[in-house]
Amino acid sequence: MGTRKKSSIGQGPAFSRREFLVRSGLVGAGALSLPALLAACSSSGSSGTKTLSFDNWPEYIDAETVAAFAAASGINFKYTEGFNDNNEYFSKILPLLSQGKTIEADILAPTFWMAQRMLGLGWLQKLDLAKIPNAANLRSDLKDPAWDKGNQYSLPWQTGVAGLAYNIKATGREITSVEDLFAPEFKGKVGMLTEMRDTLGLVLMGLGKKIDQISTFDDAADGFDKIEKAKNDGQIRAFTGNDYIDDLSLGNFAVCVGWSGDVLQLGKDNPDVRFVIPEEGGTSWYDTMVWIKGSQNGDAVAEWMNYVYDPVNAARITAEVQYMSPVEGVRDELVKLGGDAAELAENPLLFPDDATLARLQSWGSLSEEEEAKFDERFSSITGA
Amino acid sequence: MLVLAAGIVAVGAEWVTGNASLIVSAVMLVAVVTIIWTAFVGGLDTRRALAPYGLLKPGILWLSLFFLAPLWSMLQMSLSSKQNRFDFFPSFSWEWGNYTTAFSDYGAQFGRSFLYAAIATLFTLLIGYPLAYVIAFRGGKYKAVLLGLVAVPFFTSYLIRTLAWQNLLADSGPVMSVFNATGFTTVLEALGIITNGQIMNTPASVIGGLTYNFLPFMILPIYVSLEKIDVRLVDAAMDLYSSASAAFRRVVLPLSLPGVFAGSLLVFIPAAGDFVNAQFLGSPNTTMIGNVIQDQFLRQLNFPVASAMSFVLMAIITVSVLIYAKIMGTDDLV
Repeated sequence: MGTRKKSSIGQGPAFSRREFLVRSGLVGAGALSLPALLAACSSSGSSGTKTLSFDNWPEYIDAETVAAFAAASGINFKYTEGFNDNNEYFSKILPLLSQGKTIEADILAPTFWMAQRMLGLGWLQKLDLAKIPNAANLRSDLKDPAWDKGNQYSLPWQTGVAGLAYNIKATGREITSVEDLFAPEFKGKVGMLTEMRDTLGLVLMGLGKKIDQISTFDDAADGFDKIEKAKNDGQIRAFTGNDYIDDLSLGNFAVCVGWSGDVLQLGKDNPDVRFVIPEEGGTSWYDTMVWIKGSQNGDAVAEWMNYVYDPVNAARITAEVQYMSPVEGVRDELVKLGGDAAELAENPLLFPDDATLARLQSWGSLSEEEEAKFDERFSSITGA
Repeated sequence: MLVLAAGIVAVGAEWVTGNASLIVSAVMLVAVVTIIWTAFVGGLDTRRALAPYGLLKPGILWLSLFFLAPLWSMLQMSLSSKQNRFDFFPSFSWEWGNYTTAFSDYGAQFGRSFLYAAIATLFTLLIGYPLAYVIAFRGGKYKAVLLGLVAVPFFTSYLIRTLAWQNLLADSGPVMSVFNATGFTTVLEALGIITNGQIMNTPASVIGGLTYNFLPFMILPIYVSLEKIDVRLVDAAMDLYSSASAAFRRVVLPLSLPGVFAGSLLVFIPAAGDFVNAQFLGSPNTTMIGNVIQDQFLRQLNFPVASAMSFVLMAIITVSVLIYAKIMGTDDLV
């Protein structure tokens, strides 16, 4: 075990500002100094108008809602799309939040397991649920997650399913099973997501496991071995993030692990691209809205969350992003909107029937120690 | 001068902090003053003896601050260990295990990096040398235009150019269409370059990407060394009954070796550490060491192992460059 040689020499706080700056240079000065700089600006902003900043995943909202909310509330609202990857974003904010410094964003949209990690690190603030009456509209199956009883720290933003996406032109047939990912006919034309839980979850379900019961690395070892073998055989062409969409429409991927909403959006322009929840099951997940420690804009945060939990506003977002809304009553509002939106109300991927719901599974909590083993193993397979 | 350099490294690399850094700064100041004072009161001989050090000053200061200090910091990090998974400040503990991990877990990626970089360097040389030769000796009044054309792709971002290849090399993209239509695919498949009817996400596409992206770094230095050659030397060789090929082999080629040497270094070194081409044009079986370092730094937050790998990469490159210099015998030429 290492001794903290440096801090015993240094004076005052364990890590001086200069030391911190030098260290952050290791991670990439650009990535760090920008938010720090912006944070400095926003905190000294004008005191009269309320401000709010939400850093969300790309293409995760419609064109109107941001402007409509800003106009209705008078809040100076800054909506950005900088959240591209849970792990990368985490490493970007770690040096700041672990030092007790603030980041620019008031609200972030981490996936549930990352939100849980952030809560564990004490980076989240308790939501003022009294000011969010619409939170009552939260779908009952999403209420009270085990890691956040009473939704005191998080409200889901959108939920979805990881299943199989395929290009019918490249496959030449419909895809129904997880085993199709490992079919020799698709050698070199299979894609998997770098989002470990989604990829691994599907593979484990294909092996007949229940992923909500997995708590240790050993439970999942078979799944990792299967993925590693497929990688070594050249079955898997690439591990991708959101960019699997390009490979799918170019026909480089015949079949890949994908997210329901993405594929539905793409399917609008390219009917060859399809999405299926395989017969063995699909991984269900949700991204959350959380209020970050150090943010002073609690009222605006509550006002925004209340706004998007109004079924009328939620339906407008759903019509665009085509993920499952966590808000009850969206289906009726979609019907009222008419046209394409009304059709979505009948889409089984947005409003799954009971038989489909029964096939969906979600990950339980992993302890820090076990999660580290999962991450390390997955990283050694993806090779980077 | 040594005191000065050591002092800068010490403070810059946070070897010393707090009051200790003030003391080191004071020592550095005294050293500078002493040198100036010695030069001032000393005789002409003393001044003459000190002059080289004075002239070295800018270089030493620059290197200490922007090379040695970060290097020291990285060395320290590579021997540190993390207290817990999210420890952003790993502490120094002579953790040699980081180096073992670097080799045992990622030996394949190291091997691949140097193999791909070496092949790419060879290709850039095979393509770049004739091109530079033509521009230098046959370019005539179009020389400037031709050189400009070599540099023109640089007006587009590195990333965009690499991403463009994704579309060009896609399974249903233009390159594969031509290959399929002409039956060239079968030839390449027999050579093992194309598998499953795909060239994208194979070693070939990664090496191709490296070759494409670094080609100008090979052409320009070779052009510069060829351009300096007096054409009359070739005429003289011919007058002495040399054949054209012998004149090239014994006159032009040796004189252009410094350009070849510089060009191969400019291609090989960045190519060995590159991660962009492997990331966007490769598959999980073609990852290079740059990808691993990036992943360890930015996703796994494993700064110690990432630093250890950077160090190993640097060491191997340095050694191979020294061997290369020895073989090329360019010590006298450069």
